[in-house]
Amino acid sequence: MTKLLDVANLTVGYGEAIALDGISFSVARGEFVTFIGPNGAGKTTLLNNLMGVLQQKSGTVTFGGEDLKTLKPEARVARGIVIVPERRELFPGLSVEDHLRLGAFLRRREGRARMASALDRIYALLPKLKERRRQLAGTLSGGEQQMVAVGRALMAEPQLLMLDEPSTGLAPRITEEIFEAIDRLKAAGMTGILVEQNAHLALSVADRGFVLEVGNVVASGDADNLRQDPRVLAAYLGAGDRYREIATDT
Amino acid sequence: MIDTVLFLLVDGLTNGLVYALLALSLVLVFTVTRVVNIAQGEYVMLGALTLADLLQGRMPGTLYLLIGGLVLCIVLDAGRWRRDWRQALLYTTGLIVAGVAALALTRCALALHLPVIGMMLVALILVAPLGALIYRFTVHPIPNATTIVFVIISVGVSMSLQGVALLIWGANPYPVDPIAAGGLMMGPVFIPYQSFAILITALLAMGGLYVFSEFTLLGKALQASAMNRLGAQFCGIPVNMTGALAFLLAAAFSAVSGMLLAPLITANYEMGFMVGLKGFVGGAMGGLIDYPLSLVGVMIVGGLESTSAYVASAYRDVLVFSLLIPILLWRNTRSRVEARR
Repeated sequence: MTKLLDVANLTVGYGEAIALDGISFSVARGEFVTFIGPNGAGKTTLLNNLMGVLQQKSGTVTFGGEDLKTLKPEARVARGIVIVPERRELFPGLSVEDHLRLGAFLRRREGRARMASALDRIYALLPKLKERRRQLAGTLSGGEQQMVAVGRALMAEPQLLMLDEPSTGLAPRITEEIFEAIDRLKAAGMTGILVEQNAHLALSVADRGFVLEVGNVVASGDADNLRQDPRVLAAYLGAGDRYREIATDT
Repeated sequence: MIDTVLFLLVDGLTNGLVYALLALSLVLVFTVTRVVNIAQGEYVMLGALTLADLLQGRMPGTLYLLIGGLVLCIVLDAGRWRRDWRQALLYTTGLIVAGVAALALTRCALALHLPVIGMMLVALILVAPLGALIYRFTVHPIPNATTIVFVIISVGVSMSLQGVALLIWGANPYPVDPIAAGGLMMGPVFIPYQSFAILITALLAMGGLYVFSEFTLLGKALQASAMNRLGAQFCGIPVNMTGALAFLLAAAFSAVSGMLLAPLITANYEMGFMVGLKGFVGGAMGGLIDYPLSLVGVMIVGGLESTSAYVASAYRDVLVFSLLIPILLWRNTRSRVEARR
């Protein structure tokens, strides 16, 4: 598999504080990786840097062979790096369909037919959006807003889809719906980076996982192996007690 | 008595419409770029003086500003040549072509002795790009500056533009022809045709802005940048482009307002500041973010202005600007109620 994204010795910080301390990883085309870890581990910082909102102190990020350093967010979107941000960043006074159309802003010259077929694809993936297409985003429920954010990102036809905590603040049923959509995207060959606090959920979707703790990668590997890793179990899967019980039994 | 009231009403409405275009400009610029543009009134002055020059058959001094600005743009973007020379070449050629086209257009218009409406269009084409140029020089380099920094910058822009205008046009007032001379007796009141022209132009401009922002993707992108700058960037919307577009459209609205106003008060280099501030008082009613409330605000300003000009003409401006105090108090209580909810 060819590398799509290559991150080497990436250090990012806010002023003096270091949020990411020289991390390296790569993502192959068609691969879904996940970053799990507690609050403040640097997960969102990583995505903000990849998106071009936050400059790195040192290290390089290469995407499709190109150094991203000087590129602004809109230039990165044009290259196919698209984010579903944690706070969704919707436009409260615009309708659901407006959001989707704006998601394809950079492809606006491709004509009405392409726009219509792209819209249809999103509505097939997230049928709830079709029901709500004329509704203003500010009046939607949290789950529906999350779907709008996902749909808007997909309209840009991402090469690399980055999802920042898509399950935050959502009811379990809605979370399930969103993760089913992510599963289908992955099955269709989408490359992605998923950042999650819910490690169990994240590892069930991703191919590979990285455990991030105070700016460092402390564990990584295949999602299936990582799910069995006692350290991960103890710290992030909320199964620590059960693990200890099993350990003392035997 | 009733005659006087009707006359004041018409007069107030006319003033209000002129300020309405200005308030629209202010709201547009503020929502998209977070700049409280004190310099907005200067485009009123530039519009009026450009039209005055064109109507009297002179090459308008605005061309110095426009071409100078384009040259400065090329100089500021010199670094681009090293990064991507093809794009730089395209950009530079584009700007040079734009400058030459503006010159040619002006010469043609002067040779053809276009009617007032035609000259207004030409003046509009010359003044509107100045808005985008000023955005490029003042806001573009520091997109994340605080509101107060932008206010200070816009005061500076306002003073510089007035100074440059004084240099180009001198301190003399210039008469400007109305779109149509004369007027109409409607019942007891005489309504000049210019008032109708102002009404129609203002409605067309507002309608145009509405159609643009509701029915085109670029208009939606402008709204999106106003509602959530980060979200817009994540959609790939270049926020510098939407910011420049907001400045350009605002300059266009203000210039039109100046061209409509000039026949009533003659054009001079310092006419813009006052008009700008009055549009600002109206816009404050809507907190600089609410179009309909701003329109209500400017209508109140227009009405108060014409009434006070009749009752106590020496205190006209004092009364209009005192209006700002109750407006701010009202906004304050309103926002407190909203915060409590």
